[in-house]
Amino acid sequence: MTVTLARRRRALSDYQVKMLFLMPTLLLLVGMNVFPLIWSLHLSFHDYAADMPGRPPRAVGVANYTALLHDPNLWRNFQVTAEFVVLAVAAQFLIGFGVALLLNREFKGKGLITTLILLPMMLSPAVVGLFWKLILDPNWGLLDFLIRPVTHASVPWLTNDRTALPALVMIDTWMWSPFMMLISLAGLNAVPRHLYEAAEVDRASGWFKFRHITLPLIAPLLLLALIFRTMDAFKLFDMVWVATEGGPGDVTKTVSVGLYVQAFREWRTGEACALAYVLLVVIIALSSLYIRWLSRIRGEA
Amino acid sequence: MNGRLKRTLALTAVGVVLVIYLLPIYWIVATSFKEYGDILARPPRFLFVPTLRNYAALFLLPGQGLQATPFAARLLNSVIIASFSTVLAIALGTMTAYAFSRFRTRGQSDWLFFILSTRMLPPVVVVIPVFLMYRALGLFDTHVGLIMLYTAFNVSFAVWLLKGFMDEIPKEYEEAALVDGYSRLQAFVRVVLPQAVAGIAATSVFCLISAWNEFAFALVLTQRTAQTAPPYIPSVVGSGATEWGRIAAGTVAFLLPVAIFTFIMRKHLLRGATFGALKR
Amino acid sequence: MAHVRIENLVKHFDEVLAVNGISLDVRDREFTVFLGPSGSGKTTTLRAIAGLEKPDSGDIYIDDVRVNDLPPADRDIAFVFQFYALYPHLSVYDNLAFPLRAVHMSKADLDERVREVARVLHIEPTLNRKPAKLSGGEQQRVALGRAMVRRPKVFLMDEPLTNLDAKMRAEMRAKLKRDQSDLGATTIYVTHDQVEAMSMGDRIAVMDQGRLLQVGPPEQVYDHPQNLFVAGFIGSPAMNLINCQLGAEGDRPALVVPGSPLSLSIASDLAARLEPARERLVLGIRPEDVHLSRESRPGWIRAEVYVTEPLGAETIVDLHVGGGDAASILRARTLPTFRAAIGEPIWMEFDRERMHCFDRASGQAIS
Repeated sequence: MTVTLARRRRALSDYQVKMLFLMPTLLLLVGMNVFPLIWSLHLSFHDYAADMPGRPPRAVGVANYTALLHDPNLWRNFQVTAEFVVLAVAAQFLIGFGVALLLNREFKGKGLITTLILLPMMLSPAVVGLFWKLILDPNWGLLDFLIRPVTHASVPWLTNDRTALPALVMIDTWMWSPFMMLISLAGLNAVPRHLYEAAEVDRASGWFKFRHITLPLIAPLLLLALIFRTMDAFKLFDMVWVATEGGPGDVTKTVSVGLYVQAFREWRTGEACALAYVLLVVIIALSSLYIRWLSRIRGEA
Repeated sequence: MNGRLKRTLALTAVGVVLVIYLLPIYWIVATSFKEYGDILARPPRFLFVPTLRNYAALFLLPGQGLQATPFAARLLNSVIIASFSTVLAIALGTMTAYAFSRFRTRGQSDWLFFILSTRMLPPVVVVIPVFLMYRALGLFDTHVGLIMLYTAFNVSFAVWLLKGFMDEIPKEYEEAALVDGYSRLQAFVRVVLPQAVAGIAATSVFCLISAWNEFAFALVLTQRTAQTAPPYIPSVVGSGATEWGRIAAGTVAFLLPVAIFTFIMRKHLLRGATFGALKR
Repeated sequence: MAHVRIENLVKHFDEVLAVNGISLDVRDREFTVFLGPSGSGKTTTLRAIAGLEKPDSGDIYIDDVRVNDLPPADRDIAFVFQFYALYPHLSVYDNLAFPLRAVHMSKADLDERVREVARVLHIEPTLNRKPAKLSGGEQQRVALGRAMVRRPKVFLMDEPLTNLDAKMRAEMRAKLKRDQSDLGATTIYVTHDQVEAMSMGDRIAVMDQGRLLQVGPPEQVYDHPQNLFVAGFIGSPAMNLINCQLGAEGDRPALVVPGSPLSLSIASDLAARLEPARERLVLGIRPEDVHLSRESRPGWIRAEVYVTEPLGAETIVDLHVGGGDAASILRARTLPTFRAAIGEPIWMEFDRERMHCFDRASGQAIS
């Protein structure tokens, strides 16, 4: 009736299961990420044009990297990117947090409204860039109609070199301030009510409560969101490419856009690989910051 | 009185915010249903007679009935590539997440760091060598090529999210199954997976949306055979008179699944958007 | 049924030494309780026996077969978890059937076995429900049923009653003990509740900080604690422990607390045994062995009532003796009819037959 002590040996051991579960993923990631990056590093030390595969790469040492340092266009691209990142993230943060403060109360339909507001950030950035092109069209765009009474003239948002970048900032803010709002709301909700109650009993002012209870407790989350958005804004390609292709001129040419053009329009492959590596370093620095912070918030090592 | 005034102001502000966020979306949806004349009307028309012309033009070739238009073909590619890569990413991700959750591995946090950092890389950076690699291997403009890439792209995100879900399932359940006579693998399938279903579903939706929306890789690595919708739709703009109606229709058709999924998964949105940092 | 033997079990968790060389014998059909505070290593030892933890060193034998390298599934044991671990997506019937399905039992046999166990535990009405819809007591019985259904060699239970309310816990204690006795099952039961241990165990193994301090039947652990920890841990209210020295009362040897009226004359052979530790003694006396009197009697010690706790079936009296550095509070158990005001003088006497002496440095009992 009872089962004997020694039984089927067919079962996989814990170690075998662990290997089976981990190996495929790690192999895939190494193959699709690490290997290409090593190849890319190799190419960055060569002069190569991928549209002419017949001509083999020619080793040029660090020439590509030094060329980067002296390339005024590249610095201009970085500048554009930095401007974009600072403006967009600041706007998203302020608007997102502000709206969260407004929404931080119970009202009917809160759940539905929150979901609706989240829709913009779930859309494809490329497609968002596309339909904003229509809205921003100086002739029959919606925005033009709405602000015409104030400006008395058409503003060619995306084709004017002074308004193109702000327009992109506007689109990005439209897409992503809901994200900031979401995070802020979550943070605000997580503050235990009894802290506010204790402060009220001690007759603290509204500002005092905000500064000493709310802010310190939601700061970690906000920082997380800030780092995340900064990383994302820095990488931005899809929306910019579809909306302006970097133009007019190079007024909206972010580093990603510049890299794309260099690699797949001008086919300066070797130099593009070098630039890609520089970007890689920056992104890894930023994302390690993000990941460590994320792990801390999640309560892991 | 102050309380009520505040409340009214707040609600008004909420209303304004809603309008600002939803108006562009409404506009595109409306444009897709407008006749050409209505689209170009100045001032823009809020009221109009809707038409299905634009959608018809997208999916049907003139005079040939239900044929595969270029747009329909691209949309189908998107469906195929997004679905397959999601299924693969979830399968791999679930297993890996379980392994990281239950088995203490040396250097685990470093591995997790590596995995997540692959997700943080700008596509434009990764795409150059992948392009060369694919060209050399004959994977350029193939479904398989893009599926593999999207799987790699999504599995890292899936692992992070799913590990969070797995961590929440107490390990006592598997231990009870182990004591009851099941092997580790059987315990995983019979006891853990059923409880992880909600997490797996939420993660799947995020992977689907991510693959569906992807633009940069598709732009570089595909051309005609395997091209997905995102690089195609904007490319239609340049040809002659801008067919905004059709573009709007294409956009709406493309955005619709995402909207539906977002709504279905609304309870887990916060989690997915923050890589599992926040739950509710 | 089987006997279990562990030899020199050692287990670390990172830097923490959870189990520090525990050796123990659990006899066939015996109900052994691992008793100790949290962190004592009792749960870790239990899990090691089950195969859920891998010991760093030491051996585990079930029926003289060394099982260290066998997975839990092959050890023929059943484990009842503290939080039951009932599969939430399965009905009660399927939860009970789960272990039997693992060994591919025939459908008919399986059904018979499940229903029999359900009948014994009075959970037949719940067979079609999911665990979430059951009360705490019902869930606990299903967890028990899942263990019973396999008829294993050994039952291992990790504080299964802790999550029940007091009344349910008392009921289940009796039921568990009865069931185990009926089944004749070798059982190892982990708890931090000494009342549970005393009422249920054939033998109690008291553990603290990864070490085994004493093993024996409840009466033995209660009446003859081998060290200070066991003495203070077992029994409620706890044993009174008084730091004292070997001194004299007149010309007879006595235990004295300098600066306090506490002085107990003892026999000279006891004094001889206490001599090596004369400066560092601890006197232990259980509250029920402290006798009280309202009038002074020869040899009795004067104290003051500090507080009384009338509990209905008995009254606990806290007594204040001495003053300054040498002040102590002792507890005595007395009749429920006892009434006294705070500060009232009272006289007490210890039952000499039931006194315990310990060496304060080593913690060991001096017999």
